[in-house]
Amino acid sequence: MKLALLLLAMALPAASQQADAGTPDDLQKELEKAIQADSAPPAQGEKAPSAPPAATSGSSGNAPQTLPRGAQSLNPDLSVILDGVFGYERRAPQFLSGDDPDLGAQGTSHALGFMVQEVELAFSAIVDPYFKGEVYLTIPNLSGIEVEEAFATTTSLPWNLQVKAGSFRGAFGRQNGQHLHLQDFTRRPLINAAFLGADGMRGPGAQVSWLAPLPFFLTLAAEAFSLRNDPADESQVQPLPVASFGADASSRPTLAAEAKAFFPISEAWSLTSGLSFASGKSPGLLLADGIPAGAGRDSQLYGVDVYLKWKPANVSLGYESLAFQAEAILRHLDGGDGIPNEWDGGAYAQVVAQFARRWFVGLRGDIVGVPSSSVLARAGRLGASLTFQASEFARVRAYLDAERASGTSALLPKAEPAWAPAAFLQLEFSMGAHGAHPY
Amino acid sequence: MARIPTEFRALAEVEIHMIALLAVLHVVSSIPTLGSLAKEVGGARVEVESLAKGYQDPHFVEPKPSLMLVLNRADLLLHVGLELEIGWLPPLVLGSRNPRIQPGELGNLDCSRAIPVLDVPTTKLDRSMGDIHPQGNPHYWLPPANARIIAREIAERLQQLDPDGQAEYQRNLAAFNKRVDAKTREWAPMTAKLKGVKVATYHKSWTYVSHWLGLEEVGYVEPKPGIPPDPQHLARLIAVMKQEGAKLLLMENFYNRSVATLVAEKAGGKLLTLPTDVGATPEIKDWFSLVESVLKALSSSV
Repeated sequence: MKLALLLLAMALPAASQQADAGTPDDLQKELEKAIQADSAPPAQGEKAPSAPPAATSGSSGNAPQTLPRGAQSLNPDLSVILDGVFGYERRAPQFLSGDDPDLGAQGTSHALGFMVQEVELAFSAIVDPYFKGEVYLTIPNLSGIEVEEAFATTTSLPWNLQVKAGSFRGAFGRQNGQHLHLQDFTRRPLINAAFLGADGMRGPGAQVSWLAPLPFFLTLAAEAFSLRNDPADESQVQPLPVASFGADASSRPTLAAEAKAFFPISEAWSLTSGLSFASGKSPGLLLADGIPAGAGRDSQLYGVDVYLKWKPANVSLGYESLAFQAEAILRHLDGGDGIPNEWDGGAYAQVVAQFARRWFVGLRGDIVGVPSSSVLARAGRLGASLTFQASEFARVRAYLDAERASGTSALLPKAEPAWAPAAFLQLEFSMGAHGAHPY
Repeated sequence: MARIPTEFRALAEVEIHMIALLAVLHVVSSIPTLGSLAKEVGGARVEVESLAKGYQDPHFVEPKPSLMLVLNRADLLLHVGLELEIGWLPPLVLGSRNPRIQPGELGNLDCSRAIPVLDVPTTKLDRSMGDIHPQGNPHYWLPPANARIIAREIAERLQQLDPDGQAEYQRNLAAFNKRVDAKTREWAPMTAKLKGVKVATYHKSWTYVSHWLGLEEVGYVEPKPGIPPDPQHLARLIAVMKQEGAKLLLMENFYNRSVATLVAEKAGGKLLTLPTDVGATPEIKDWFSLVESVLKALSSSV
């Protein structure tokens, strides 16, 4: 059998031809050498090689018909996304994410009114044959422009590698990477502001990710951030929280890693799951008397997330779909300044059901302070949303939640009143380029 | 003892040569019809996989990460273009970490590049017109003239990627075109019957078929592309269908039937759910059986 195969191979003209021309590997090496020589300073007596054919040269003979295809432009794709709210909250929320609607409630006083929760400007384009570029500028709560993300992603690295560099949202769980308009609820989960910081874990850095060559989808990502945000301003009556995990750490970068796997259970059902780790300085408050309530303490985050989705391949039998999503974070805070080593944690779980073509209903339960620590008291929240999606580009959402501060922590005052209901009516729209829907 | 490794090495070399001989290019298509056309011209030199299923709406495919794995292995990505897949394909291509199929590379073929595109907007666009495709209507792959163009474009691209296969690709392309000629003759009695037939359609996705067969479209269930109908619009459509004597309402088999059934019934006509992609039903295995089943369903209803 082996001999027969060997004879077959020897008889094959293609095989022998290949032997004449040398192996493709040899050819590639030779070409690589030539390319290197080309970019090196010119050596004497070298002849210029003839140019290879252009990669995307069109149809030979049959030139494509020229048609009015709209004006060609090399401008980046541009879109503007707006989230406006009208809402009520009984007291200031304990954990306010940067892109949560801020109605301005102070302490125990209530707030009622309008707010533009976020205006986002998104630019994206393929930069050149090697990079894709994306820039997202955001104005949360009408309070100044921020760079939410601005990064380049490589498109042509070998070995299933991809590098992201610039300033971006870190790969930590599911919601941290998502912009506001991808959230199913008006407010982000409590764990976002409590553990990752008001703005989430984002900042200038670099990420390397790798798609494992396995029969199922698995990516591994490692990233480093340098966050030099100002620590909370302690001169204010109500100190501002540190904006991001790892901020106030100019001495060493924040490190993070994530593994993400996807399992297509059936055509309609699928499961995404991830494990995340981050090491840096915790966000939190720097209290007026100089006590760091979490802020600036070295800490490690351990996260786990799952996303289970049911959506039939088409809508011939109806428009229903269902998605369950949950994330949990466990945090270790290093001791120091008379504060012991501590563990605390939190989680949320949500279900979003599409019950008609344009209608979605969602329910979410949040808890932080399980276990509780000197800087994190137990608090829970229950939220519900009803979303009407007018088109791909606009939706209206009603959102209700109630937060309960049930525990106490050694360093922070208890939120009063304990029960804090809130209600929002949110309008969201997007203008410009048709964005893709991430999974 | 020394002989065994040598034998293994020889065997391994044989296998490598055989793979080189077969030169299998891994072609991934966004919709199955493009993959099917690639199989026609690629023959044994290609293996073909599709991201979407034939019974899926190609505008709305769930961008599952597992599809990145499929793209990761691709030598050539075929897509419809004209922004049909804009909502799901770009992040999959980027996430595939496959340099060969990135936009602008040889392994990325926009199959619309030589198609005479219809419904190209002639006035200033905005989204009050619905979820329109600014570059024109992307539902172009059913008419034989367009299938020939797509097959030619694919053959040329395969040739560029695999110059050794040039003769074979040209042979397969000629055979495909010959078969299209034969089928077109065979279909002539059916197509002749359809000329001037008045129809309404669900989505504005039958323009190319109407253009080819001479169907006359009198209205659409969707008031604007991608926008669900309201009762006033449907009442108007029913009135127009009655007035024009349009007895057929055409719809892809991946849309919900409830509204369309009612409209067809009230207009005194018939709802015809038609396949638009290979794999829409298990019997539709290639472009020929796809077009034939559309023609049979249409011609037997008039």
